[in-house]
Amino acid sequence: MFFYGFMQRAFQASFLISLTAPILGLFLILRRQSLMADTLSHVSLAGVALGLLLGISPTWTNIFVVMVVAVALEYLRLVYRTYSEISVAMLMSGGMAVALVLMGLNESGTSVSINQFLFGSIVTISQEQVILLAVLTVIIIILYIVFRKPMYILTFDEDTAFTAGLPVRAMSILFNVLTGVTIAVIMPIVGALLVSAIIVLPAAISMRLSKSFNGVILIGIVVALIGMLSGLVASYQYGTPPGASITLIFIVLFGLTSLIKKTLSSSRRERLNKRRDLAGDQ
Amino acid sequence: MRYINVNELAFHYEDEPVLENISFEVNSGDFVMLTGENGAAKTTLLRNILGLLKPSRGNVELSTKNRRGEKLVVGYVPQQVASFNAGFPSTVLELVQSGRYPRGKWFKRLDKEDKEHVRRSLESVGMWDMRHKKIGELSGGQKQRISIARVFATDPDLFVLDEPTTGMDSQSREEFYRLLKHNSRVHGKGILMVTHDHEELRQFANKHIELIRKEDSPWRCFSMDSCKEPSRHHSSSH
Repeated sequence: MFFYGFMQRAFQASFLISLTAPILGLFLILRRQSLMADTLSHVSLAGVALGLLLGISPTWTNIFVVMVVAVALEYLRLVYRTYSEISVAMLMSGGMAVALVLMGLNESGTSVSINQFLFGSIVTISQEQVILLAVLTVIIIILYIVFRKPMYILTFDEDTAFTAGLPVRAMSILFNVLTGVTIAVIMPIVGALLVSAIIVLPAAISMRLSKSFNGVILIGIVVALIGMLSGLVASYQYGTPPGASITLIFIVLFGLTSLIKKTLSSSRRERLNKRRDLAGDQ
Repeated sequence: MRYINVNELAFHYEDEPVLENISFEVNSGDFVMLTGENGAAKTTLLRNILGLLKPSRGNVELSTKNRRGEKLVVGYVPQQVASFNAGFPSTVLELVQSGRYPRGKWFKRLDKEDKEHVRRSLESVGMWDMRHKKIGELSGGQKQRISIARVFATDPDLFVLDEPTTGMDSQSREEFYRLLKHNSRVHGKGILMVTHDHEELRQFANKHIELIRKEDSPWRCFSMDSCKEPSRHHSSSH
């Protein structure tokens, strides 16, 4: 399997996604924007449909459309501050509707391509996409290293961040755009329907395992690598869609870590109670 | 030096007036307590002052410089921070260290002096031994203490505190007030604090602003009669 060019590209892409997904995922979870990834992946389908309709590279139309919507999301988040899910529902269904309309307008039989984008396909990964993903990964890692402290404050409490003099709005927009571009780039690989799971689940698992911010990111990268690489192998072996295989592995990992954590904490509680009882007897 | 100047401020939620005719100032070295009944828009007033809300009328001037001519650093302790309860992945030490970031450390490593500040701040609220705990595992009072430690670690020129002592016992409260008083008197810090403990705080504060419901308004609208020195001899509220 490692001798096939498309599998080599798939492993390269999975490795790169594993480095970035936990960073974006952690901030999305902490900013209560887990569903934003889902919204943007639906919107990115509209970007793909637009590219196919116009006969130009769907990657670039996708990136453009998602960037515009990522900025709009920040505006809607501020307008519907108390009911932020309204903006998610509106844009998610709107993105899907635009994608379906554009597909309907396109009479040149694009359903196969759209299916690839919906469910993801290993064979669709091109060298151009791997290079794009590598550039994006370097940008995200550099931005994380440089802006780690401001982002920590921003995600902890936006009001405190504002009074500390941080450009809260600009940072939020930059983060949304970066998330949008990442989703646009990885969507053809893992599929629009599951891209948010790939981004959010590694961080959600590692949040249960680490007490510190940096610890969550580092453990998240390890979790993402395990899930992505084993999911890819399973996908190749059983001919299942890669996005779905990877997501299922992440869900199993989530269940396992929750179970282990619960067992450990209940046994610790029992030990403490025993010690307390012994001290009481003496 | 004047750090905050509130001038004829009014604030409306949509068309409903909530605050009217608010004017006062907070200078370097002032310890100002802001009181009022529940729902008296005290937090709304603080948010207007900090620029988180825009006044409907009047204005707020927040100095950009401190008394040494450097950039003014504001330390804000909000009443509630949702992240404390939402499994935010941070240790106590990480959170209190983040208080140093506005002190020119956004893009630099914390040095020995920063770490010393953090240690002293955590010790001052009795939380040094808990520094490696996850913040979500702390009790309400402990969370309040680390919020205070964080603001002390910032060493701000202006403290803006919204009921910072909720859940703290009376001895800890008094120690905290003493520390604030020391900061205002000796180091010239400006302090604006929303509180319900005005009986306890009277002996430490030098100004008292009380928000009082306007009787001639059909709305729940609050104003202030004047900015006065807190009375120290009788215990009845204003």
